[in-house]
Amino acid sequence: MSEWLQQAIARADSIQDGFEDQRAASLALLKDIKWPTRKTEAWKYTPLRAVERSAAIFKEESPELDPVAVEGLEFLELTFVDGQLVSLPEELPEGLSIEMQESSLFGTIKPERHIFGLVNDVLAADVAVVTVAEGVVVEQMLRINNLLSNGAQGHIRVVVDLKAGSSLKVVENAEGQGASLTTAFTEYQIGVEANLEHYRFALQSGDNVAVGGSHFKLFENAVMNSSIIGFGSDLQRIDTDIIYAGEKANAKLNAIYLLDGKELFDLHANVEHAVPNCTTEENIRGIAGDNSRAVFNGRIHIHRDAQKTLAELNNRNLLMSNKAEINTKPELEIYADDVRCAHGATIAQIDKQALYYLQTRGVSRSQAQLMLSFGFINELIDQMPTVELAEWVRPIIRDRFAQMEVK
Amino acid sequence: MSNENTLLSIKDLHASVEEKNILKGLNLDIKPGEVHAIMGPNGAGKSTTGYVLSGRDGYEVDSGSVTLDGEDLLEMEVEDRARAGLFLAFQYPVEIPGVSNLEFLKVAVDSQREARGEEALTSAEFLKMAKEACKQVNLPVSFLKRGVNEGFSGGEKKRNEIMQMMLLQPKLCILDETDSGLDIDAMQVVANGVNSQRSPERSFIVVTHYQRLLDYIKPDFVHVLADGKIVKSGDASLAKELEEQGYAWLQTEPTEDELED
Repeated sequence: MSEWLQQAIARADSIQDGFEDQRAASLALLKDIKWPTRKTEAWKYTPLRAVERSAAIFKEESPELDPVAVEGLEFLELTFVDGQLVSLPEELPEGLSIEMQESSLFGTIKPERHIFGLVNDVLAADVAVVTVAEGVVVEQMLRINNLLSNGAQGHIRVVVDLKAGSSLKVVENAEGQGASLTTAFTEYQIGVEANLEHYRFALQSGDNVAVGGSHFKLFENAVMNSSIIGFGSDLQRIDTDIIYAGEKANAKLNAIYLLDGKELFDLHANVEHAVPNCTTEENIRGIAGDNSRAVFNGRIHIHRDAQKTLAELNNRNLLMSNKAEINTKPELEIYADDVRCAHGATIAQIDKQALYYLQTRGVSRSQAQLMLSFGFINELIDQMPTVELAEWVRPIIRDRFAQMEVK
Repeated sequence: MSNENTLLSIKDLHASVEEKNILKGLNLDIKPGEVHAIMGPNGAGKSTTGYVLSGRDGYEVDSGSVTLDGEDLLEMEVEDRARAGLFLAFQYPVEIPGVSNLEFLKVAVDSQREARGEEALTSAEFLKMAKEACKQVNLPVSFLKRGVNEGFSGGEKKRNEIMQMMLLQPKLCILDETDSGLDIDAMQVVANGVNSQRSPERSFIVVTHYQRLLDYIKPDFVHVLADGKIVKSGDASLAKELEEQGYAWLQTEPTEDELED
């Protein structure tokens, strides 16, 4: 077991007064767990050295930090600094509530197998529970800000409960200053005919260490649309689980990663088709430059009873340097016989036909390559349902991409 | 060396694709302002001609020469050929999601203006130009915001090609079966676009399988391409003749060249 995990457990032991059963169970599991190594399948390409070596501390006092502004959008802000909840929206729309309390949903959507999820179970001090009442459509976006000051460690946890027929848009926004470490886990229960529009921006880079997950459970006719955008850092790992608990539910997941330097980004996406007639569409695209390493694992598990499942998983990658590395692994496990399922993973150079087409219009080869590489990820940005967010993130990605080209 | 007054000069051009000879001694001279139609059966080398002239990868020139305005075209990179004034309107324009039509057009026009030593257009100037071009080919202005050809119908793609031609102001336009897949109305829009661009300085090669496009774009010369070379040339009346007779009279021996798309 690593020293880091021992410290985490010791801290949990010291604060465990008041843990409900769920958190106590997680602590018990953690005490028995094997620290992941290269031989642990879920961490095969993602070494945990950055966690082991992290000197990030739990700060007694944190500076005031503000989340980044997004033109054209005013969020309902739920802001954590160094793991402590520092601000809640002053006024909430009718039908939306945010409370700091134990929730019966806590730990029921996020699977137990995520080791850092267990760490989060026991170390996230302030668990926020967001509830949207039945039939309520919340127009204003809720933003969950996970802000970390220099050298800080923080663990945040949010549980979101969308009651039947309700609708919510959520942005998970992480901003870390240097040498911080965080685990950030969210759990979403999307009730019957409820609708979730979800974003997870993980744009910290450098020596930030961030491990976390967004986990979704969908009931009958529920719809979710999620966009995950990540840069790499010393360690950036996101786990998503999409679990169907009701029929005719529909999930779309788009993810983009853009890595430079020696950065590492790891996305593990798991989909559990446990019931029939649900639809999943996943589009995952990444660009890895310089010495970076991207890891993608996309598992779709179609259970025996999940007939008429429609599932598509597409992972496309571009390598910008011969030292960059992409480890992609689509995993389809199909136990039902009447399903439509497709997957593909490619690591490729640029589409030659498109390159030629642009050149025939007078665009230089190098510029055409740039346009096409950016277009490759921009296509997914174009699909983001909230245009203001797309317009905000597009130039950030464009800038990073332009910097990558120079090297 | 080509004649001073010749825009494009193709001399004894032999070219192959995947080691298969497609062009087998093509000769063609085009003067500024002329419209030449190239007709012929499938597999004759019509599309190959456009690809070879534009410099597409995989289209190997085995021998012969091509000059544009006296410059050796075959020595140039694809983009330099475009900057020298060559434009190929594709039979099947590529869809490029994620690259907006407007961005693409602006970069293309900027690149060409820069190559010609002209000043760059401001975004506002360009947008105005692009909107006007949109109108001329009956494309909604909203198409400028969409990905290049993304989700466009066949006719919309062809009109987008003509719009690009209008913005790039080339010296020589090759229209590769621009009429294929178009109904009469769409063809008329395309033809009007082309006709509006005819000028004493601009020449056209209209590649087509059918005569009907030539009712709208009147050629000065019609050539019949068969088995990689021009076997017959004439004026516009030759197209009518072909319409009546078909290409069967050409097939003295069966060609196995069905390579072309």
